[in-house]
Amino acid sequence: MAAATERIEPNARAERPPRDSSGMRPLLSSILIIVALCLLWEGLKSFSKSVDYALTVGETTIDLSLFNDTQLPHLGDILGAFSEPSQRNGPPLYAMLLENALYTLWAAVRGFVIGGVIGFALAILFAHSRLLQRGLLPYVVASQTVPILAIAPMVVIWMGRAGALEWSVPIIAAYLTFFPVTIYTLRGLTSIPSTALELMQSYAAGWWDILIKLRLPNALPQIFTALKISATASVVGAIIGELPSGIQTGLGIAILNFSRYYNQSPPRLFATILMAGLLGILFFAVIAGIERLVVRWRAEVAS
Amino acid sequence: MTSIISIKNLSKTFRGADGVEVHALENISLDIPEGEFVSLIGPSGCGKSTLLRMIADLIQPTGGQLTINGKTPQQARKDREYGFVFQSATLYEWRTVIKNVELPLEIMKHSKDERRARAREMLKLVELGDFEEKYPWQLSGGMQQRVSIARALAFQPRLLLMDEPFGALDEMTRERMNNELLRIWTAMPEMTVVFVTHSISEAVYLSSRVVVMSPRPGRIAEVIDIDLPRPRGSATRDLDQFFHLTSRVRHALRQGVGLGIDE
Repeated sequence: MAAATERIEPNARAERPPRDSSGMRPLLSSILIIVALCLLWEGLKSFSKSVDYALTVGETTIDLSLFNDTQLPHLGDILGAFSEPSQRNGPPLYAMLLENALYTLWAAVRGFVIGGVIGFALAILFAHSRLLQRGLLPYVVASQTVPILAIAPMVVIWMGRAGALEWSVPIIAAYLTFFPVTIYTLRGLTSIPSTALELMQSYAAGWWDILIKLRLPNALPQIFTALKISATASVVGAIIGELPSGIQTGLGIAILNFSRYYNQSPPRLFATILMAGLLGILFFAVIAGIERLVVRWRAEVAS
Repeated sequence: MTSIISIKNLSKTFRGADGVEVHALENISLDIPEGEFVSLIGPSGCGKSTLLRMIADLIQPTGGQLTINGKTPQQARKDREYGFVFQSATLYEWRTVIKNVELPLEIMKHSKDERRARAREMLKLVELGDFEEKYPWQLSGGMQQRVSIARALAFQPRLLLMDEPFGALDEMTRERMNNELLRIWTAMPEMTVVFVTHSISEAVYLSSRVVVMSPRPGRIAEVIDIDLPRPRGSATRDLDQFFHLTSRVRHALRQGVGLGIDE
């Protein structure tokens, strides 16, 4: 009776416009962007061969010779460098970079997990104790204003003395990753509509039920935002951490070496940077994929 | 008849940010017998929602007595004596419809089978049996509110507290929801409903008693018995008696506002 007119077939009400589920359009647009960037790169380079070597826009003069082959190698040369030997009689550069990238990735993953766990624990603690939040949060924030380059050598020394040198790089990576997790998770745990919380109070729910059934699911989208930031930050942290570590493997070490021999072969450094970028994107994509699986109620809504 | 809610000289004073005291409620006395459908109606600022929230122990009074089944509100809340329906459906967006209805049963440690069975039963009651596995965003506003009513009833409380539950719905949907609610209430003869609204016709149509409140300070202006015949339906709204009662409520509201301004 009453609901007869409002009764709608269960599947009739997916009134949102059907999304482009084929994934063709995003793929196409990202390819277009890559092509455009490549064209821009090579376009700038073609200017460097022009007669004037300078471009004047208003009062600013740009020295076009900046885009010469030493400063900015051709994209073809960079890609070509991957298949050339990394050193005399050595394996091809791509094999050498892959090996180093895996080493760096493993350190980044460990740092990501350590930082994630610490960041998450701090957020839960802060969400439940205003006293701890007021007392400790400023130091958590301050920790991020200390340059990682200043901290890294100390961590290496400490861990070396503790006989756990192989953990120095993950710990430096963790230093960069815990912060976003703390801040975003804390916000997700505490920014809850007042009625959603009152509903729990009306059931006389305990803090554990409120945490598990309300705060955490409410925070999940923000937690994943933090994890995506942390994933890329952990790669940066691992690369920086390798520099003072005395370790002989890793992308950071490769960057250091190739920058030393930059004038002989610029493309090798660019290839290594490309590799580091791909590594960060890969880690990011893995977390984004997990997010789609976990935050399913949003995946349907998000556009 | 025994009172399920007993209120004596209840008052609530807020202290504003500027340190000025605001008397949200003053000297409220009211007895609500078991099985009644009582509406609290009044202009905004009359404290009707505050009163409902004090019954629910979501806000504490600053003076007077308030008992539910002879218990303090806090004890009643801990004993899960009431279900609460908010103006917004307040469904958890990460839960499917049926998991939302199961939420209170999870917290109250019912077994998995029992939870499922009870939630199914409640969704059938609100005629949403086919929507179990949908997420809240896939439902219309009226349907979401029906889920929230099913959730409030899932653990079979004897008292249902509703804070302008249909205030955000359009007029047509609201009237349908009114009939729906009457049907549910009739199916549970022992259940008492306290219903906050600012719609006169809604209050008269649903209630056995309408409590008219006036603002600044919030207090009861008049209590009007609604002796319209039951079962009520669309024909009820056409009765002379219905018209007469809505006029009485409107009159009481006007006078209540006048009182507030004069002081």
